[in-house]
Amino acid sequence: MNSMWTVMSFTMRNKLRSKSFIVTTIILGVLLCVGANVPYLLDKFASGGGPTKVGYAVSAQGEVQGEVGDIIKGLEMEFGKAEEQAVQLVPVEASGSPDEQAAALKQAISDKKIRGYLVFNPNEAAGFPDVTYYSKKMLDMDTAQALQNGLRTVKTEQAVKEANLSQEQLSKLFDPVKLESVQINESANGKTEEEQGTAIGLTYAILILLFMSVMITGQLIATEITAEKSSRVMEIIVTSVSPLKQLFGKVIGTFLVGLLQLVVLVGAALANLLQPHNRDSLESMGIRLDSIEPQMVIFAVLFYLIGFFLYAMLFAAVGSIVSRTEDLGQAVMPITILTLAGFYIAIFGLTQPDSALIKVCSFIPFFSPFIMFLRIGLANPAWWEIALSVAILAASVLLIGWLSAKIYRAGVLMYGKRPSVKDLIKAMKAFNV
Amino acid sequence: MRPLVLERVVKHYGDKTAVSGIGLEVAEGEIYGLLGANGAGKTTTMRMVLGLIFPDEGDIRYFGKPYGPEQLRMLGYLPEERGMYPKVKVSDQIVYLGQLRGLSRKDADANLKRWLERFEIPEHYDKKVEELSKGNQQKIQFIASVIHRPKIVILDEAFSGLDPVNVELLKATVKELRDSGTSILFSTHRMEHVEELCRNITIMHRSRPVLQGSIKEIKSRFPMERVVLAADKPISGLDSIPGVVKLAVHENDGYELKVKSPDVAQRILRHALEQGPVRRFELMEPTLNEIFIRTVGESHE
Repeated sequence: MNSMWTVMSFTMRNKLRSKSFIVTTIILGVLLCVGANVPYLLDKFASGGGPTKVGYAVSAQGEVQGEVGDIIKGLEMEFGKAEEQAVQLVPVEASGSPDEQAAALKQAISDKKIRGYLVFNPNEAAGFPDVTYYSKKMLDMDTAQALQNGLRTVKTEQAVKEANLSQEQLSKLFDPVKLESVQINESANGKTEEEQGTAIGLTYAILILLFMSVMITGQLIATEITAEKSSRVMEIIVTSVSPLKQLFGKVIGTFLVGLLQLVVLVGAALANLLQPHNRDSLESMGIRLDSIEPQMVIFAVLFYLIGFFLYAMLFAAVGSIVSRTEDLGQAVMPITILTLAGFYIAIFGLTQPDSALIKVCSFIPFFSPFIMFLRIGLANPAWWEIALSVAILAASVLLIGWLSAKIYRAGVLMYGKRPSVKDLIKAMKAFNV
Repeated sequence: MRPLVLERVVKHYGDKTAVSGIGLEVAEGEIYGLLGANGAGKTTTMRMVLGLIFPDEGDIRYFGKPYGPEQLRMLGYLPEERGMYPKVKVSDQIVYLGQLRGLSRKDADANLKRWLERFEIPEHYDKKVEELSKGNQQKIQFIASVIHRPKIVILDEAFSGLDPVNVELLKATVKELRDSGTSILFSTHRMEHVEELCRNITIMHRSRPVLQGSIKEIKSRFPMERVVLAADKPISGLDSIPGVVKLAVHENDGYELKVKSPDVAQRILRHALEQGPVRRFELMEPTLNEIFIRTVGESHE
């Protein structure tokens, strides 16, 4: 126990002191601080930009003929209603043939007077002209959307006017349909839309955290073991302390360092997110931090712990059989793929938390830390499902831990080319482990 | 109670035999030489003594007891392939290794300072290992293996890669250890070190011990066949004396002769005296080097 403690504190001390660790933490911290403010900044930029100016052709006298003129008036009224005007219509003097008009409008774009322009082509059959929006920007979805909505309203109003409907009938027609979705929960009152949004956001964030920290700390452990092996300190270490204590000391030490890093980073992110200006923009995205259930946090920690140890043991075992750090990347590939698979299945599951694939995967040890957590967050699995999943996970942590310790014991003294499974079994027999 | 006893120890790797039936005893305050060509099974033997691998057959006893965790504490090991944490400070890693072997932090630190003084490199206490010269790294490595005052020390190629001054320094330290009662299992390819330090040796060849005993006794088993002769004037006709197998002429009128039997030496001396005064005459016992090459080399054929 004592020497495990020694290994642990030595591992932690060296990690905390290493420049790469400090630099990585600072860089990630800064990125998170910036990232946490992105929604707010986006809001700022979006509103600060003012309405998009869209041009249309008018004759030299500044008037638009007949039908199109009504449409433009209707559009201007419609856009004027909104709190923040999305689109502002700008008349551009252009006359002559359609080609000449287009040239004049394009010139206006080059002069930065307008961002794009509208062309109306009469369509007798529809009773409403076909409208084309020309813009130099690709995928100018927001403007196109605003224009379409505006045009639809104008068209509807025209039709309604023709039908001579009363004000009452009009408001009936235009009243939006109310549909609110509430997730049904066996125990509580269910999650409102806002809570669901928060749950998805939180689940997503924790999935990324879990994935990242498993990958980063796992790699750290493997690298460190391989480095010890390639610098041959290993020979002295294994003669001073039993491999099992060494393995667990190292894993726990790295875990604590990883946890510390995580706490710092999450703390930085939360400190920024809780700023008043950020809270508003989060709320506008349907995420309310105060609606996070404590149960979610507990499960997040639980699955983080188990998932971490499961993968850490695997990484340690792989690290112990590789002699040179250059070979490590290749050797940990299978584990990386396993983690990636779990992560992507979980991302898929964000939209379909009830699919059979997700249900099955929530019991498969290497995926379940990601996927059972996802189900708890989004799909309300039965308690026995959670218990079974955790039990399977715990059992496989023990099994993998035991196996990894054996591989580690035999692996750390094997040098030369990367051993095959057969070599490893042979070595295990030779070392009586 | 002997500090270290191996009895008929056998180890197989799969169908390959790495060590077959080695037995040896190391007394208190003794340096025991373990010799052998590359791949003869020395490292496997040492690893078994260290408890890294367990023997298939036979018995290893430390002060009469079998291997256990408390035995770890009294073992010190200097591996053949040197290795420290390159990016960790000398003080940190030595104290760490000392702690792993049961020292308190304070004791380990005090011991380290004493050893650094002993090697006249106290300024390296706060340096990283990668900043040190190879010789100094070697010294640090040596300190790491003895920091916890082990009763049994295993030195695998302790002096390789060192300059002569440092070899002498380290050799003196090893002798001090021996004189303070430490038992040392010593492996090297440098026969002159073995002759200087060891009382008993085992020469291993292809996994089995082929020659064992005290150096004196082993040497007496081999006939004295080497004659060194030096005179003021050149001596002629040495190679025509019956029984002389080989004659080598050194600079400054020195001769080295290989003879069939020791009594041929007397004939050489008489022959030389007839031609003038003899400055030096010696009938020499075989060097360990010759014995090693003969033992290992002959069974190669």
